[in-house]
Amino acid sequence: MILLLLLILTGYLVNLVIPWWGIAITGFVLGFQLKPEPGKGFGIGFLALFLLWGGQALYIHVANNGILSTRIADMLGVGSPYLVILITGIIGGLVSGLAVLSGTLFIRKDLE
Amino acid sequence: MKLLKPIFTFLLLIALVFSLNTQFGSVPPLGEFFDPESGFWANAETSSPTTKKLTIDGFEGNATIYYDERRVPHIFAENEYNLYFAQGYVVARDRLFQMEIQTYDAAGRLSENLGLRTLNRDRSTRRLGMPYGAEKALKMMKKDSTTWASVNAYTDGVNAYINSLSPEDYPVEYKIFDFAPEEWTPIKSAHLLKNMTRTLAGGNNDDRTSNTRKYFGAEFVEKFFTVKPELNDPIIPTSRKWDFERIPVQRPDTLFEPASAVELESFERSEGVGSNNWAVSGSKTKSGYPILANDPHLSLTLPSIWYEVQLNAPGINSYGVTLQGMPGIVIGFNENVAWGVTNVAADVMDWYEIKFKDSSKKEYWYDGEWKPTTTRIEEIKVRGGETVSDTIIYTHHGPVTKVESGINEKRDPVYHALRWIAHEGSNELKTFYELNRAKNYEDYKAALSHFTAPAQNFVFASNEGDIALWITGKLPNKWEHQGRTVSDGTDPLYDWQGWVPFEHNPHIKNPERGFVSSANQESAAPDYPYYIDDDFAPFERGRRINDRLAEMENIIVSDMQNLQMDNFSYYAYTLLSGLLEWIEEDSLSKEEKAYVELLADWDLMNEGDLVAPSLFRRWAGNFYASIFNDEYSTTKARLRYPSRDRVVEVLKTEPDFPFIDNVNTEETETIEERALYSFRKTIEGMTKDFGEMGGSWKWGYYSNNDIDHISFVPGFGVENVFASGSSESVNATRNGFGPSWRMVVEVGPEVKGYGVYPGGASGNPGSLNYDSMIEPWRTGELFELNFWKTQPNEYLYKLELGSGN
Repeated sequence: MILLLLLILTGYLVNLVIPWWGIAITGFVLGFQLKPEPGKGFGIGFLALFLLWGGQALYIHVANNGILSTRIADMLGVGSPYLVILITGIIGGLVSGLAVLSGTLFIRKDLE
Repeated sequence: MKLLKPIFTFLLLIALVFSLNTQFGSVPPLGEFFDPESGFWANAETSSPTTKKLTIDGFEGNATIYYDERRVPHIFAENEYNLYFAQGYVVARDRLFQMEIQTYDAAGRLSENLGLRTLNRDRSTRRLGMPYGAEKALKMMKKDSTTWASVNAYTDGVNAYINSLSPEDYPVEYKIFDFAPEEWTPIKSAHLLKNMTRTLAGGNNDDRTSNTRKYFGAEFVEKFFTVKPELNDPIIPTSRKWDFERIPVQRPDTLFEPASAVELESFERSEGVGSNNWAVSGSKTKSGYPILANDPHLSLTLPSIWYEVQLNAPGINSYGVTLQGMPGIVIGFNENVAWGVTNVAADVMDWYEIKFKDSSKKEYWYDGEWKPTTTRIEEIKVRGGETVSDTIIYTHHGPVTKVESGINEKRDPVYHALRWIAHEGSNELKTFYELNRAKNYEDYKAALSHFTAPAQNFVFASNEGDIALWITGKLPNKWEHQGRTVSDGTDPLYDWQGWVPFEHNPHIKNPERGFVSSANQESAAPDYPYYIDDDFAPFERGRRINDRLAEMENIIVSDMQNLQMDNFSYYAYTLLSGLLEWIEEDSLSKEEKAYVELLADWDLMNEGDLVAPSLFRRWAGNFYASIFNDEYSTTKARLRYPSRDRVVEVLKTEPDFPFIDNVNTEETETIEERALYSFRKTIEGMTKDFGEMGGSWKWGYYSNNDIDHISFVPGFGVENVFASGSSESVNATRNGFGPSWRMVVEVGPEVKGYGVYPGGASGNPGSLNYDSMIEPWRTGELFELNFWKTQPNEYLYKLELGSGN
């Protein structure tokens, strides 16, 4: 749970200062530091950014009355703006999950 | 070995991040694109804009911009530099992508950012000499200190905005196509203006007229392209007398015939490009002051081609619409005068067959001697590919294009040079600069004298009570029909032998009939001493406007608004009576008779809710094709088709016109047979395409109005806008073309302007404002324009631009 919250918090903050791939760094570092079991690490990593990015997207979608997300859905040919939100969550989730997983697999000795 | 798994996973992570950060084909970098903080989500407008104070490094002055409820910016500044700086800033703020992509297109530089898919477009832009013309225009702009100062102020403003952006602030299109804005430079204003010349004066029929003359004979050309329909009603009324002698030109004894059938790239003018404007004098209005109206018809896009703005500084208070990338206002009004434009179909684009000495193409034959050519190397950078280098040969006529005809396979390639008005150094900005400040007729006339291209019918009204119309632009002084066929590049008599002096351009001021008007029809009656072109728009819209204006009295603004929305079809008026007469009732089934009756009962208005306009338009098209297509398809050469208004006249007066017969059958078809045949084909086609007759046959759907995004991003346009009108109606909405700005201005002690365009101030597809005026535009609503004399107290929000460090 702490990992999840930390991932969301750091993922949010890092994205304010460096480009989107910052979430791979924070995920990796937190995975390395907190060392959850690898499978679980991937799951929590995925869930954290799925919630963060998907949540942010959903918020914007609602505040914007879906004007842009509907157009993007048309552009991508996916039909529904909710799928655009889902894709946003999945992309964030995959990167984060894989980053946390990588972090868990390294042990301190490896890096020395 | 223990490290294998972590390292593999880590590499996988790197690979994932890398691929989500890379553009594949037309797929944007997905990680960057979907990132809610800086991807496309960041472009979604989540709250109304609010008042801001902005300090700009390097900006010495200040300016205040008030936005009204439609988000039209009203710029108040203390001097001209600040004014045009602010204009550049606010236009960029709303329309940056559009500004850049239009000028990339005009410069032949699209591929730099869009890759191979736009290479052919860039190549043809370069071969037409577009950048060459823009470079010459830039030199002219530099020579005029006020123009140059305004262009530079504007440039500084655009760059101040660009420099304030972080990647997440870029308009969403940059994220889709994955590139960043570049520095704005003055030549981009020149590119923008040359692009208008390409859109409005980039058409000609030279090769098709030559081919048609060769194939169907000079008499055919005479009959369809020289003779004008009787209903023709020129812009400058026939009552106008010309009190000058033309400047003589020498013409060749016989007309040059090209080496072989010619197939140049298609330069056909698209039908939807045209416009209306008119002004009525105070004698015909209720207020006693003139009223002016203008609606330029162009390809309808999102964002719109127009941007509405008010410019206020000492010496100027002007309101209207402008293009993205130039200082000043193109169509609009100020406290004293109003003006508007329609296109003149002047023939300012001619092709010359060139004779080279040898394959090195270093010399060409002209006026009895070999003259040297020059070359210009065009380097087209291609994203993700190698730079393409294109060496273009120039003669004194202009750039040379190689034509390898598919028809004349055994022949050597033929070379053609292009003489085009867009190659002239020109400074149209000076015209707009002065018009924006004009106080009376004399100022207006002086402003127009600087204008080169694309030639425009400038309509005018002033609070002194004057109305006027000048056919404006540099017109080559040509002999009759010079350049309607391919010209002889070796003979100086085919060169443009100077220009029509500005004072000789067709014009009229305060005519007796109490109004002036133009709708792209012929500029002046045959007694006007100069030749301008033989291919003007059909008489239909122009005549309708004149019919209506002649009978109107006590005119108020809404009368003009209604005339802009007039859907009467002169095309149906002339052709339908013939078709209904030719079709033999006895041979029709009961069902067919019902369709005929529907058409006979039609009031000839192209209303979206009616089925008759769809039936008529399709029948007219099939009928025209049944007359001409059989003959026209007997050769592979591209031929010129006669204008529909002249065809109707010929068919009605010459029942034995030989083209009526279908050359592919033994029998001799009559006009009655052709009418019936094309009628049946129409009903069959309609049923096949739209099902049984019903709502789907309505003209509003049939006329097929899509307002596409400028770069055709799916979902960023509006499809199937149900609308009335047609290309032959005053309300010329059809096929995604139409009135791109409707304006009515009543001048007087208190000038009042009204207007609408199908779009919105904001170019952001994530804003409600982006397409907010499409519905009012569709239904013919006009907004009262907020023309503020002093800084307002009520407004939506304001921006204050001030100096930083």
